[in-house]
Amino acid sequence: MAAKILDWLDERLGIKTVYDTVLDRDVPKVNWWFTLGSASLFLFVMQGITGIFLTVYYVPTPDHAADSILYIMNGVDFGWLIRGIHHWGASLMVIFVFIHMLRTFYCAAYKFPRELTWVTGVILLLATLGMGFTGYLLPMNQRSYWATTVGTEIAATVPFIGTFIMRVLRGGTDISAVTLARFFSAHIWILPAVLVLTISIHMYLIVRLGISSIPKEDD
Amino acid sequence: MNEEQKQEYYKKYKKEKQKGVKFYPDIVYKDIIVSFGLFLLLIGLATFVGVDSAPKADPSDTTYIPRPEWYFLFLFQMLKYFPGQLEWVGTAIIPAIAVLALILLPFFDRNPKRFWRKRKLAISIMTVIVIGIVALTVVAVVTTPAQEESGTLAGTISEKIVAGEELYGLYCVECHGADGEGGEIIGVEGLEGVEVKSISSQDEMYTRSDETFFNIIGFGQGSLGMPPFSKAYAGELGPGEIEAIVAFMRYTWDDRIEIPAEAAQASAIPELAPDEVPSYEVHIVPIVKRYCISCHRPGKKNGEYFITTYDEVMQSGDYAPNVIPGDLTSNLIRMIHREEIEAGGPMPPTKALKPELIDIFERWVLGGAPNTVDDAAAASTGSAEPPSEETLPTGTPTPSP
Ligand code: HEC
Ligand code: HEC
Ligand code: HEM
Repeated sequence: MAAKILDWLDERLGIKTVYDTVLDRDVPKVNWWFTLGSASLFLFVMQGITGIFLTVYYVPTPDHAADSILYIMNGVDFGWLIRGIHHWGASLMVIFVFIHMLRTFYCAAYKFPRELTWVTGVILLLATLGMGFTGYLLPMNQRSYWATTVGTEIAATVPFIGTFIMRVLRGGTDISAVTLARFFSAHIWILPAVLVLTISIHMYLIVRLGISSIPKEDD
Repeated sequence: MNEEQKQEYYKKYKKEKQKGVKFYPDIVYKDIIVSFGLFLLLIGLATFVGVDSAPKADPSDTTYIPRPEWYFLFLFQMLKYFPGQLEWVGTAIIPAIAVLALILLPFFDRNPKRFWRKRKLAISIMTVIVIGIVALTVVAVVTTPAQEESGTLAGTISEKIVAGEELYGLYCVECHGADGEGGEIIGVEGLEGVEVKSISSQDEMYTRSDETFFNIIGFGQGSLGMPPFSKAYAGELGPGEIEAIVAFMRYTWDDRIEIPAEAAQASAIPELAPDEVPSYEVHIVPIVKRYCISCHRPGKKNGEYFITTYDEVMQSGDYAPNVIPGDLTSNLIRMIHREEIEAGGPMPPTKALKPELIDIFERWVLGGAPNTVDDAAAASTGSAEPPSEETLPTGTPTPSP
């Protein structure tokens, strides 16, 4: 019966081909450092899941953001757990993505034919940092407010266009409701969309080109 | 890479794959182990370390030391080495070059070799950069001073408790009662008749952490009627003051903790000798600060009867005078005996004063309601006359809010 269903599905979806190319493929012998990419992916998925739960109660307005966070921590069942995972997941993701990048660098995995895997990787690193920067403002507490104030001030020191960049980031001259709305939108729509898209390309390239082997003396 | 090198690469890679493993199960299995470990780590961090809370954003509090997320610290640290005119080098030029170099790395690193010993230059540069980033982060963490919280109250835990008690008496008693007993709110504008649960019960003390109290007092419980007190939220208290209140609550009501003797002594209502006449400044002030002032101060519903200075106690109020020296039918005395009179109902509205406190009020009024200790001493040595005209209007300093 199960085999029949599989056959039926395979005729339409081609899952056997998918199985052969994605799961049943040959890969060189690698070590534990090569798990860091999938660990980054796992963390990204966790951030996505916990983040979606957080938006159920989080209110992106300066008046209510801090209260809604407080409510998540104290009033919602397991709200503290969800927020805790999201909070620590963000830091871990930065660490893991960064070390994953170092791993691919030291293994020379960015060289032919994996140049584009590297380029998409850099975009992923930047987007991950962007997630950290925009997410930090959302609780609207003293720490996030002042960190974002200095963070966006830095943009203003860029020659010629600095003030313009700062105003785009802040949506005005000061950190305000507009800034929060912008950061929120970037944090839950724009950057995740960039990440999902770029991760897809990254994954496609990895399956297509295969995981690199650990360089030997004669490589 | 030229065509020949490419072909050679493919040949080698194919050989490596033949000597290798299957993605499923070998690699997938390793990936799952690592991810599962991470999952446990996340739950552990969320449960045992948690998330630091911080007060609500307060754009006017410019003393706050900005503290970016730790993984941006190296950038901020680097900027410190580009002061003034050169700032833009650190903020624009270096980051732009770094990002561009990172993106274009596969295109300018033309060295076809992959083994580390054959790419010493690339590896050295990257290693130096990574060490630099780590070092800058460490320096930033070490040199950023700890946040000095505004509104911090100095001193020992006992001083904190005593300060907290005074603040509690001023800000919280009107709704929660002098002993945090709660019950129905009476005599508070807007919340008349609202039932408040006890905040001093064992249940409350055992289930709420100090941090939770701190947050509730700071940010309030909007939907339930608990107003926010933190300055950051247009309240009147700084973080140190809220901490003091929390310390007072914890040490006074939590039966698992002993209140320091020093604090207990400082907050006790002064003893009276059998025929000593109490004075306003020594005996009445501590009582009204604890039981009355929360409602009987300007801006509250209280029949315009303010109890913040001697003069006000004697003279203010819609039904003034509420205290008539020598007269036990003064409004105040009748009301603390829980009589319902023209001036209003029982005082304090929710819970009767303890008999020994009522006794102090009565002996004070009978003794001529003296202001200072000296007046009281004069009154107890025979002449039970009302204080002279000169002493009446001077008053004592306002019990500071
Ligand atoms: C204007 C009235 C009012 C004032 C003043 C007030 N509270 Fe409250 N408070 C409330 C109400 C109403 C609640 C909700 C009580 C409930 O749910 O039973 C509450 C709840 C609380 C709680 C949480 C109880 C719980 O466990 O859910 C704490 C703790 C608390 N107040 C402490 C304080 C402290 C300390 C002060 C003084 C700084 C204070 N309150 C001043 C009205 C007030
Ligand atoms: C919960 C708030 C609250 C507390 C606590 C409180 N009062 Fe009152 N008091 C009132 C209100 C409200 C009135 C106005 C009369 C009324 O509406 O019943 C009042 C009126 C009075 C009056 C009459 C004033 C006038 O001239 O109209 C006296 C006297 C008085 N209170 C004494 C006290 C004393 C003494 C204490 C402390 C032992 C105390 N009250 C504690 C709320 C309070
Ligand atoms: C959200 C962030 C990222 C995710 C989810 C991710 C995921 C992955 C995964 C699952 C792999 C498979 C091999 C492995 O795990 O090592 C991989 C490979 C690779 N990644 Fe990433 N990555 C991310 C960021 C980056 C970054 C920042 C870089 C570098 C700038 C990068 C460069 C590469 C390269 C070059 C490979 C090929 C490695 C090889 O074939 O040996 N990735 N990535």
